[in-house]
Amino acid sequence: MFLREAPADTLSYMILGYSVILGTITLFLMSLVLRFRSLARDLKVLEELESK
Amino acid sequence: MAEAFSRPDRAPVAHRGARGYLRAVSAIVWKDLAAEMRSRELLGAMLVFALVVILIFNFALELDIRTRETITSGVLWVTFTFAGTLGLSRSMAIEKDRGCLDGLLLAPVDRSALYFGKALGNLVFMLIVEAIVLPVYSVLYNVNLLQPGLLLVIALGSIGYVTVGTLLASMAVQARTRDVLLPILLFPVIIPVLVAAVKASNGFLQGLEMAEIWPWLNLLIGYDVIFAAVALMVFDYVVEE
Amino acid sequence: MEAMPRGLKALSWITGALFGVALYMVFFYAPREAVMGEVQRVFYFHVAAGWVGALAFLVTAVAGVLYLARGNRRWDIVAQASVEIGVVFTLINIVSGSIWARPIWNTWWTWDPRLVTATVMELIYIAYLMLRQGLEDPGRRARFGAVYGILGFLSVPLTFLSIRIFRTIHPVVVGNSDPTAQGAFDMTPRMLQAFMFSLMTFTFLYATALWHRVRLGRLAEKVDQLKMKVMAG
Repeated sequence: MFLREAPADTLSYMILGYSVILGTITLFLMSLVLRFRSLARDLKVLEELESK
Repeated sequence: MAEAFSRPDRAPVAHRGARGYLRAVSAIVWKDLAAEMRSRELLGAMLVFALVVILIFNFALELDIRTRETITSGVLWVTFTFAGTLGLSRSMAIEKDRGCLDGLLLAPVDRSALYFGKALGNLVFMLIVEAIVLPVYSVLYNVNLLQPGLLLVIALGSIGYVTVGTLLASMAVQARTRDVLLPILLFPVIIPVLVAAVKASNGFLQGLEMAEIWPWLNLLIGYDVIFAAVALMVFDYVVEE
Repeated sequence: MEAMPRGLKALSWITGALFGVALYMVFFYAPREAVMGEVQRVFYFHVAAGWVGALAFLVTAVAGVLYLARGNRRWDIVAQASVEIGVVFTLINIVSGSIWARPIWNTWWTWDPRLVTATVMELIYIAYLMLRQGLEDPGRRARFGAVYGILGFLSVPLTFLSIRIFRTIHPVVVGNSDPTAQGAFDMTPRMLQAFMFSLMTFTFLYATALWHRVRLGRLAEKVDQLKMKVMAG
């Protein structure tokens, strides 16, 4: 009768994998937010200039 | 070339249908060939480059005779790919710098004739370079490269390469980063051609069964047909002002 | 810029919620794989990211065709937005695939058709962005982008095919001999549910990101137009 082998211990790789996945998504979304804000600021300045 | 496009006393070339189309295409090809025969700058550059690359490979990959046999097709195709890029870039740059493109666009021809003519010219140049490199390589490495199977693969591969390359070169030449841009645009898209051409060439050189080579030939032919069709449909948008 | 449309706000919230549920399913609901252990859980989001990359590419190509056919700048904004999202998610796909491969096959990279094709796709995406960057005229940028998007999209299946044939004739020396297996394992029903749910969640994520990014693109265009107007005096 053979004992079933335990699964490999790959927890650290899983954590690494998910850090990369979630980290990248977060960075991308943040970059969208930052670019939005910067453009909105530009728009405000330009609209002021235009009204002058 | 002038006579093909300026006939004020007769109907414009476009209305002559197929004959007019073919005349336009051959006019463009002859223009490129004639110009090249006078200056020889394009062929010279491509040829020297190709031969230098082969020499470099000789030193970079010091191999025994048996291993060399298996990498010949790879070395050849890398060489053709890089030399081809030179030719494509230069060919389109000449067009743009001399202002020929504007003149051609004014002609009453279907725009696709322009593409066809350009691509055919590029193909001829590439085939000429390959025709010289093959015997040189054969002599340097004592291997017979002038086999019909191999020649077929080189023709099919070059067609695929030039089909996409002419289109992308037309775009790249209009960008600021024109020299670096063409390889970056071209190489990822051309991978099916490269893989299939290398494997098919290798198949013929090693004398493998046709059954093993057929998938690669089919892939090459399929690629050529698909991209020729797409290029013809899309070229209008690349040259419109 | 107009306030965020209510539909987008709702979609964003829904996507966020779906993502939370997906995380739960992936970490707790799905069982641990018998041979590979915990790292197999990476598979769910790895494949989902790959799916988004491919979807984004398709959208770019279609948007390109529509732009060329109709000339409406909106399609170009969609195409560019989709490429950006595609670059990000394909990168996630490649890196997570590499991390998954490492403990399984003791190598960071396998010349597996799917991984190689994903990398080639990423290179085409990046080339697309570099092409746009090198062009001054916005009309040309849009047209050339559309053309390259179409060419690139058509080449990807052929690339996959070429490497697939390559692998069936020449199986890789290191690793398993089946060229199509990328860490093959049997999926229990719970795993399958987690997998399908992840796919759906990421599709929502793509749609939400696309909508936001398109809004960003329209804002950028508005700013550019205003800039030119103001500078003209």
